[in-house]
Amino acid sequence: MNSGEFSIPLIHNSVSIMTPFLLAGIGGLMTELAGMLNIALEGLILIGAFFSVIFAASTGSLFLGLLLGIMMTIFISWIFGAITLYLKANVFITGLATNLLAGGLTTVLSFHMFGTKGVLMFQDLPKLPSLKIPALHGIPVLGDILLGHNILVYFGWLIVVLAWVLIYKTPFGFRLRGTGSNPAAMTALGLKPINYQMAGILISGFTCGLAGAVLTLNLGAYVPNISSGRGWIALVVIYLGGKTPFGILGAAFIFGLAESFSNYAQGFMNIPADFILAFPYLITVVAMVVMSIIQHQKAD
Amino acid sequence: MQVRIKRSGVFVSAAGLSITLAAAFIVMLIMIFSLSETPKDTIYYFFAGPVTNNYYLGNMLNSAIPLILTGLGISFAFRTSMFNLGGEGQVYAGGLAATAVCLAMPAAAGFTGISTAIIAAVVTGAVIAGMSGFFKMKWNTDELISSFLISNALIYIVDNFITGVLDDPENNLLTTKKIAEQFWFKKIYPPSNLDISIFFIVILAVLAYLYLFRTHQGYEMRMCGLNSEFSRYGGINVGKYMVLPMLISGGFHGLAGAVSVLGTSHQCYKGFSGGMGWNGIAVALIARNNPIAVIPAALFFAYLEAGAKSAMINADITIEIASIVQSVVFFLITAQAIYNFVKPRRRSA
Repeated sequence: MNSGEFSIPLIHNSVSIMTPFLLAGIGGLMTELAGMLNIALEGLILIGAFFSVIFAASTGSLFLGLLLGIMMTIFISWIFGAITLYLKANVFITGLATNLLAGGLTTVLSFHMFGTKGVLMFQDLPKLPSLKIPALHGIPVLGDILLGHNILVYFGWLIVVLAWVLIYKTPFGFRLRGTGSNPAAMTALGLKPINYQMAGILISGFTCGLAGAVLTLNLGAYVPNISSGRGWIALVVIYLGGKTPFGILGAAFIFGLAESFSNYAQGFMNIPADFILAFPYLITVVAMVVMSIIQHQKAD
Repeated sequence: MQVRIKRSGVFVSAAGLSITLAAAFIVMLIMIFSLSETPKDTIYYFFAGPVTNNYYLGNMLNSAIPLILTGLGISFAFRTSMFNLGGEGQVYAGGLAATAVCLAMPAAAGFTGISTAIIAAVVTGAVIAGMSGFFKMKWNTDELISSFLISNALIYIVDNFITGVLDDPENNLLTTKKIAEQFWFKKIYPPSNLDISIFFIVILAVLAYLYLFRTHQGYEMRMCGLNSEFSRYGGINVGKYMVLPMLISGGFHGLAGAVSVLGTSHQCYKGFSGGMGWNGIAVALIARNNPIAVIPAALFFAYLEAGAKSAMINADITIEIASIVQSVVFFLITAQAIYNFVKPRRRSA
């Protein structure tokens, strides 16, 4: 096998696999900047994945499914935010609660509506349109890698740019970062940090809803617990990306590559499936420890 | 004066807790009425199911045993402000370690086998959780995320042992061989699974309480949890109290795995410990990280699970409604506003 034949599809796939990490990472970044570690990302992705495909199947429209799925995810993130901020609960515990709720709610509704807790297939669901620009496909390597993905992949990139503008170029972004770095100063300026924290949580609801929709709409099916740790990996992606939108893009790509590679490895190496499943978690924890060692040495 | 303040604190906790539990109860009723065709039967099986006969009652008490242990484990970590979110994997790996030891020495005497298995499980759990504590002490790696990630990776690796090296070739089930009968804990309430370990576990909870509240080390541990900067200033070795509580926490989780295998399942089947880790967190939160209060909190959770199971077997709902009810408890259990609401307002003098 020639190395180009092998590496181009590998990288092409990682561009598409990284999208949920990227989207959830951008959402988590918003709450991170507002001073809260958002461990609810995992559950929010699951909510988005479940409801977008259910709504798409029942309305027959991908767009409506996406829209309603995202709205549902924003609603759940609102519950998470309202209890955390207005009832002054511990954000880790309410984050766990959101993840528990997501797991329970999706299973209960799946069982109630479809009579199964297993995979839900939606055969007649329209496919997500993919971006094809014949003129650009001629470009060697880059064209093969960057083109031909479904439109949500490109929407994810757009969100990275929008997030950058929002964080660094708007008053909202300044205040969001102010909430995380110096809430007392925000209060002194007559601004309410709680509003910016809520905004951060709602944005993470939006991006996680989208991240979930990418998983199921692309597949045309819902697999139980389809988020499978992506929300947690997204948290590490935020740190690895230095808490900036473009850093997150780079870090998400590394995790996309790792997952894409483990999918390939399954094909030609005789590695048990369990180890393949464990691999994303292992590489994430290793990345996290290495990163903290580097930061620790920088600080010394 | 001191006594009065204490009493009002207990009152506020109890009143706040009852608001949380009432909310959970209401959410459950709403779910049953909207999802069940026969809501009256479902409610009956949910509430009365676990106590209708000795078998169900014994099994419910038995399922509280691992929850007491995981609840104690989490209490130690939370008291020191260390977040151990890896309970699931620690229990699972502990159970595997205990099973592996018992399978490796099938001819050993009961006591030798049981104690070796328990030590192996405790050490396994302690090492797994201790790693996160060590990373935190050494490089300030967030233990909350690292413990979760390590645990999740381990779950798949344990799965692989169960269906691979240790798999029982005689059947197609995803489980290891049964351990030799001399290692089984004695049943005390037949026909149910309740075994003798429950007495030891209750004693262990009391010892945990004494250690945490009546020893020097326990005091230092709690101080670090309340204010780590102040503790450092006061000359406490703060780094030590990042690793020690995680070791203890992991040890309790490993023990929970061993007790489930030796007492109940007698083998390690795929996913046998599912939920024990998360429920341990809920138990510790309801108990406000108090080792003695962990016992009733674990019983409450065991009742909730048993109720959901009974409703699933006898009526038309699925067991996962228990996790929605649990999520309501998680959402509200730390909500300060609820406690402020019930706290009697001080009159301005």
